[in-house]
Amino acid sequence: MNVLELTGIHRTYERGEEVLSGVDLTLESGAVVGLLGKNGAGKTTLLRIAMGMIEPQAGRVRVFGMEHPRDAVAIKRRIGYVSEDQILPAYLRVADVLAMHRAIFPGWDRALERRLSERFEVRERAKIATLSKGQARQVAVLCAVCHRPELLVLDEPAGGLDPAARREFLEVAIDSLHDGGSTILFSSHYMQDVERIAGRVVLIHAGRVLIDRGLDELREELSLAVLTPTNGTTVQRLRQTAGCLAARAHAGELRAVFGVDPEVARATLQSELKVSALTVTRLGLEDLFVETVEGQAR
Amino acid sequence: MQTPLHLTISPGADAPIYRQIVRQVREAIAGRRLGPGDRLQSQRQLAQQLVVSPLTVKKAYDELERDGLIRTARGQGTFVAHDLPTPSRDANLDGLRPIVRQLVHEARLSGVPPKALSALLAEEQTRIAAHRGDDPTETETS
Repeated sequence: MNVLELTGIHRTYERGEEVLSGVDLTLESGAVVGLLGKNGAGKTTLLRIAMGMIEPQAGRVRVFGMEHPRDAVAIKRRIGYVSEDQILPAYLRVADVLAMHRAIFPGWDRALERRLSERFEVRERAKIATLSKGQARQVAVLCAVCHRPELLVLDEPAGGLDPAARREFLEVAIDSLHDGGSTILFSSHYMQDVERIAGRVVLIHAGRVLIDRGLDELREELSLAVLTPTNGTTVQRLRQTAGCLAARAHAGELRAVFGVDPEVARATLQSELKVSALTVTRLGLEDLFVETVEGQAR
Repeated sequence: MQTPLHLTISPGADAPIYRQIVRQVREAIAGRRLGPGDRLQSQRQLAQQLVVSPLTVKKAYDELERDGLIRTARGQGTFVAHDLPTPSRDANLDGLRPIVRQLVHEARLSGVPPKALSALLAEEQTRIAAHRGDDPTETETS
């Protein structure tokens, strides 16, 4: 059974602007999926819909085969959630927040709580309001993972954290993958973090899923072609070429992403466009992100 | 005994992380820093050391095992295989071609004549063979 199934999700802001226009996303058990997209692409909206925090205007949400809001309690017990702007009650002490979570979740793992508290050097007697951004996030992470959720939904979990705190967070995520084989859906702008833990990458843009593929597959089977614009070689012509996912003009060059191996892309370009001066390389996640998003027809 | 094999990875590099792991283990075996029967880190340990997904490490180990370079004994760990496969010569040649091409280009750019490059190659082969303790002519006859 799939852990999460989002089908045909539509969501419009109150002012009438569509933020998600038909998104499908399925997570099988054990999947670790990195959700990428520009600011405002709809990542947070999608994650909140998965969490049942907001409702889509159209589409179907299934979590562990159950649905919001009917099975809200049963679903929440099995999910852990961390977001960048998560707000813990400022006037409570850390110890109170932890006690609250222990009471809510029957499966709370005290040993894991102690281990993480030590690792994060959590000051249990401190009031939430006095914690730094990083410390508050650590408490949020602790609250999200100690009931050993089967699904972790993380919205920019490392946003605003320093490199050491980010790395520590990754370590915790990796440990949780070892311990329970949990399923993780996370959004991030840190491509190196995505590369370290994601098995699959989903790129959303303008309310739609542009890319949904295995990370290694993306790294090995996608390519970037850079060529000189001529009469026959234009952005429009490139977009019509077989395998082209995105193309744009940038600083006097044409840059196109192809969903195939560099050698195949080169051969296609040479035979179809008769271009000889071109460079075709593999591309890293960061370039993939930029070129794919910037190279869409508007 | 566990051989201290220190792997490093760099996210964002040309090859995906699992390939970087596979390559480094291969190189360690080829360079005899790892020998038959030597124990490798567990998948869990390596994932923690490198701070990468356990699935990535599993993928790398699976590939190394498929290629006959390592063996996993249930409950005991992962070891370098005792009967390492003899690599097929053609496959190796194809794999080397891009590196050699690069080398030849670099040599031309730096003005190193072809003869000097050949001599340099031979010299390096002798040096590495001596370091590994094999007979330098072995590669010619095998």
